[in-house]
Amino acid sequence: MNSTQVKESPLPSIVMDLQKISFSYDLQESTLDVLVDVDLKLNQGETAAILGPSGSGKTSLLLLLAGLEQPKSGSILLDNKDLSTLDEDELADIRRDSLGIVFQSFHLVPSLTALGNVMLPLEIAEKDNAREIATTMLERVGLAERAGHYPTQLSGGEQQRVAIARALVHKPRLLLADEPTGNLDAKTGERVIELLFGLNRESGSTMILVTHDEAVAAQCQRVFRLQQGKLVEDAPHALPA
Amino acid sequence: MRFLLSLAWRDLRASGRSLWIFCACLVLGVTLVSASGGLYRLVGDGLLSDTRQLLGGDVQVASNQPRPLPDEAVDWMKQNGKVSQLMELRTMLGTPEEEFVLVELQSVDDLYPLYGRLELEPAKPLSELISQQGGRWSVAIDNALALRSDLKVGDVVSIGMLQMDVRALIKKQPDRNLSADFRGSPVLVSPQAISDAGLIRPGSRIDYDYRVATELPAATWKTMFYEQFPDRGWEVRTFEDRSERISERLGQIASGLLVIGFSTLFIGGLGVFSSIQSYLQSKLKTIATLRSLGLRNRRIATVYLLQVGILGGGSSLFGCLLGALLALLGGTVVAAEIPISTSFAALTAPLFSAFLFGVLTAFCFALPAIGSALSVSPASLFRDSAGTSLKIPRNWMIATAGCAAGIIALILLSVPSLIFGAAFILVVALLLGLLEITLRLIRRGAQRLDGDKGIRTGLAFRLALANLYRPASPLRSSLLSLGSALTLLVICTLVVVSLNRAIQATIPDEAPALVLYDISPNQFDDVQNAIKQTSPQARSELAPLVQGRIVAVNGETVVSLLANGAEELRDTLNDDHKLSYRGGNVDGIELVEGRWWTAQDDQTIPLMSLEDREAGRIGINIGDRISYAIAGGTLEYKIAAIHRQKGVQSRFYFEGIVSDGTLDSSVERYVGAAWMSDDEALQAQKAIAAVASNVVTVRTARILASARDLLGQATSGLMVVAVISFLASLLVLFSVIAASRVRQVYDASVLNALGVRLSVIRKSLYIEFMLIAVVTALFAVVLGSAIALPLLEWRMKLPSTDLVWVGLLTALVVSVSTLVIGAQYLHRRMNVSPAILLRGTG
Repeated sequence: MNSTQVKESPLPSIVMDLQKISFSYDLQESTLDVLVDVDLKLNQGETAAILGPSGSGKTSLLLLLAGLEQPKSGSILLDNKDLSTLDEDELADIRRDSLGIVFQSFHLVPSLTALGNVMLPLEIAEKDNAREIATTMLERVGLAERAGHYPTQLSGGEQQRVAIARALVHKPRLLLADEPTGNLDAKTGERVIELLFGLNRESGSTMILVTHDEAVAAQCQRVFRLQQGKLVEDAPHALPA
Repeated sequence: MRFLLSLAWRDLRASGRSLWIFCACLVLGVTLVSASGGLYRLVGDGLLSDTRQLLGGDVQVASNQPRPLPDEAVDWMKQNGKVSQLMELRTMLGTPEEEFVLVELQSVDDLYPLYGRLELEPAKPLSELISQQGGRWSVAIDNALALRSDLKVGDVVSIGMLQMDVRALIKKQPDRNLSADFRGSPVLVSPQAISDAGLIRPGSRIDYDYRVATELPAATWKTMFYEQFPDRGWEVRTFEDRSERISERLGQIASGLLVIGFSTLFIGGLGVFSSIQSYLQSKLKTIATLRSLGLRNRRIATVYLLQVGILGGGSSLFGCLLGALLALLGGTVVAAEIPISTSFAALTAPLFSAFLFGVLTAFCFALPAIGSALSVSPASLFRDSAGTSLKIPRNWMIATAGCAAGIIALILLSVPSLIFGAAFILVVALLLGLLEITLRLIRRGAQRLDGDKGIRTGLAFRLALANLYRPASPLRSSLLSLGSALTLLVICTLVVVSLNRAIQATIPDEAPALVLYDISPNQFDDVQNAIKQTSPQARSELAPLVQGRIVAVNGETVVSLLANGAEELRDTLNDDHKLSYRGGNVDGIELVEGRWWTAQDDQTIPLMSLEDREAGRIGINIGDRISYAIAGGTLEYKIAAIHRQKGVQSRFYFEGIVSDGTLDSSVERYVGAAWMSDDEALQAQKAIAAVASNVVTVRTARILASARDLLGQATSGLMVVAVISFLASLLVLFSVIAASRVRQVYDASVLNALGVRLSVIRKSLYIEFMLIAVVTALFAVVLGSAIALPLLEWRMKLPSTDLVWVGLLTALVVSVSTLVIGAQYLHRRMNVSPAILLRGTG
């Protein structure tokens, strides 16, 4: 029913453009500033890591990028579309067509099998050959033989692989990954990150990765740090070894 | 849509049995609604489909005197239709075992029955079966009477002064009276046999009815008859009048049943709400995930609405099937007494209506939960905060209100009596209002008690108190579900205990053992002697019974009263009143207003006491005057007192007790009572039958037994209803407890991790549930008494304020035991472990 909204025009090279974004939480008698005048431009296919201590505003930034929160000031352009001008349904369509999200806690739909979860974005978009595409994607994450298993029958690493497959199955323009290895052991985490970067490269999506892990961040082309509400980019190759 | 349907179905299947309470609550409610609606339709259709058969004609004319109508009237009737004459007389029938049973002798002519077919066994012409053979008359007796008194064809029975042969059993009588088993089973007999048996004498209460089959519209015939014979006092009833009366009475019974069904559905609705809420709580992350994947809100809503539709529709359908089965089963039970429709098609409308009720109830109670769940933000997935402070969006509130309005409209449309429907809605609104006030009071009280530094309470008590006013406390649902069911239970208990007490009160020393009707003045001495001979010590009391018709109230004639707008009193004013003297208070009445007169009182206008119900209907008070037409003359009385029936006693139901001597010239019969043992009463029956065979004698033991039977049936019926409602409320309570379990486990684990002993946590849980139980019981007693006591006092004349403690005790015992079981269940399922906090699996 929403396929009519798919744009035929060529996509811009700048996928995400944050202009002077400020965000704060209203407390009872004061305001807590979380982000102050944040600027960020990301091109197609670029990977960016966002580092910062707890409470620095990483999650708030992700929520803004996903259109789940509105900034106090500034604008967020995704493929030149200003998210603040869109209503609830249009934002949902943006998430459906242009966004993929990988959560720290996986958030698979427990009542659907691994295949059902991967098919979900395609079914929401009413794609015809959802089963075939999803099966291929599951094969790509190495879980073809677990297609009929429910999330509770999968290990943490397997669940996150299904989540990655679900996030990328519809080839989104922007992939948001929130601490994707936060709930996994080191070894499993490594394999998941490897898979995430590999698949992301294949899909050509722009990826923003929120992490505490400097080593994971180092694998991204650009690295940003959130410090006192400001987003500061590291100089290329300035990361400690 | 296909995807949404598939998603809804897959999600539902994977959710297993988590929604069984949702289904069970709906099934119970819909079953009761469809069963009562279906039974009403079956009985209604059966009774109303051919009231011509039940009435015996298009029109029935009844003589108001114990003699046939004059020839001019019969001739006029014959000119305007086909006329069949029926003579009826209640008397005693003696069985070969010398038992005496009350029967209704019916003598019919060759045209009988005008409508329908009389089925006899053996299947021979009636005239042959009730003819005189070998010098002895024969009778055809009701099949139910034959079964009850163990009579068969060939037996010899005594009626009046004669012995008669039972020659046939009446297998089916189209106009069999609906209360024939209570008032006297039919016995078909020749008119000459009645006469030969010595039953036709001055004062005999013989009814002469004329059934007419006419081509004219019945109402037109009735108008023409009244125009031809004005002011004769002959009663003309058309089959339409009868339909109206039957449908009115049936409507009241069905409305009562339906209202109980709606109550159960309402209680079940609470179960629907709590189980769907708990189900959706477990789906919050799924909903947030779907939203994060770009599924629009409306489409997510469609998924859950489809699920409610599937479950609500399926459960309602199942409930309808169960209800239909119950209605058919109930139909077969009542079919022994009254005709019922055998067409399954008759059930279509009530079943469809019950289905609609089920589906609307499911949506009405599920919409707020869905609306609230859909307001979850995908942002919660990043912060792990799903489920915190969700609000019901405005448009969902409006949709819920729409469903509620639909239910209200459907209730008003489907309940036969609008007053019942409106009263039910009013009571529900009252219940919700009262509940809200109670909740606020309890929360405020608990909060104050908890915060009061002057009161030293243990940790367990403080934890329990805090739980009463915390968000998502089970108090509201418990009060509403268990409170409503307990209210119903309290009402039933008070009514049953009150009735039982009324019956018990008449048994020990006050109740006469034998009650006598239809004693002619010339039999007065014979009957008294027969009693004395049977039991010399027995006390017996005979009182005159004179029937009078009201002709004026305070000097204004009934004609003028009716013309001046008292049309609704027509039936009341046209009914004959049974008048008697006070004597030895044979009917056990007691005054509620005024006082008994003495010789010193001015009796220029004779005095009387009027029965309270009649006084209430007519609007008569002490000091008013009332005039009766009695045996061709008019007698005026001044009201000195108002009385009421004390219990079941002898059931003469005198409407008026008048000054001694005023009726003497008009007495045509007496009634009476004798106080003796039941064995002596049995002997007295035989002795009286020997000297005054027409006198109707009933042993009180039989009246009491039938009253007890009736009470037993009523008790069983009320208890079945109360148990079903209670079952529904238990389901609701179970779902509420199950829904709060996760939170309770989490809270308990935190407390345990902080060092609070498990015994203290357990104690606080029991205290919390005990507090809820006590509050719920008090709530039910207050509301239940507020409904039952006025009902008993004004409608049934049974003041029962002193029985409130019985209601309180019942409510407390049921409420406490239910909630203690609930607490025990919760306690067993808690598995408190601080480890879940560390693992994050709580």
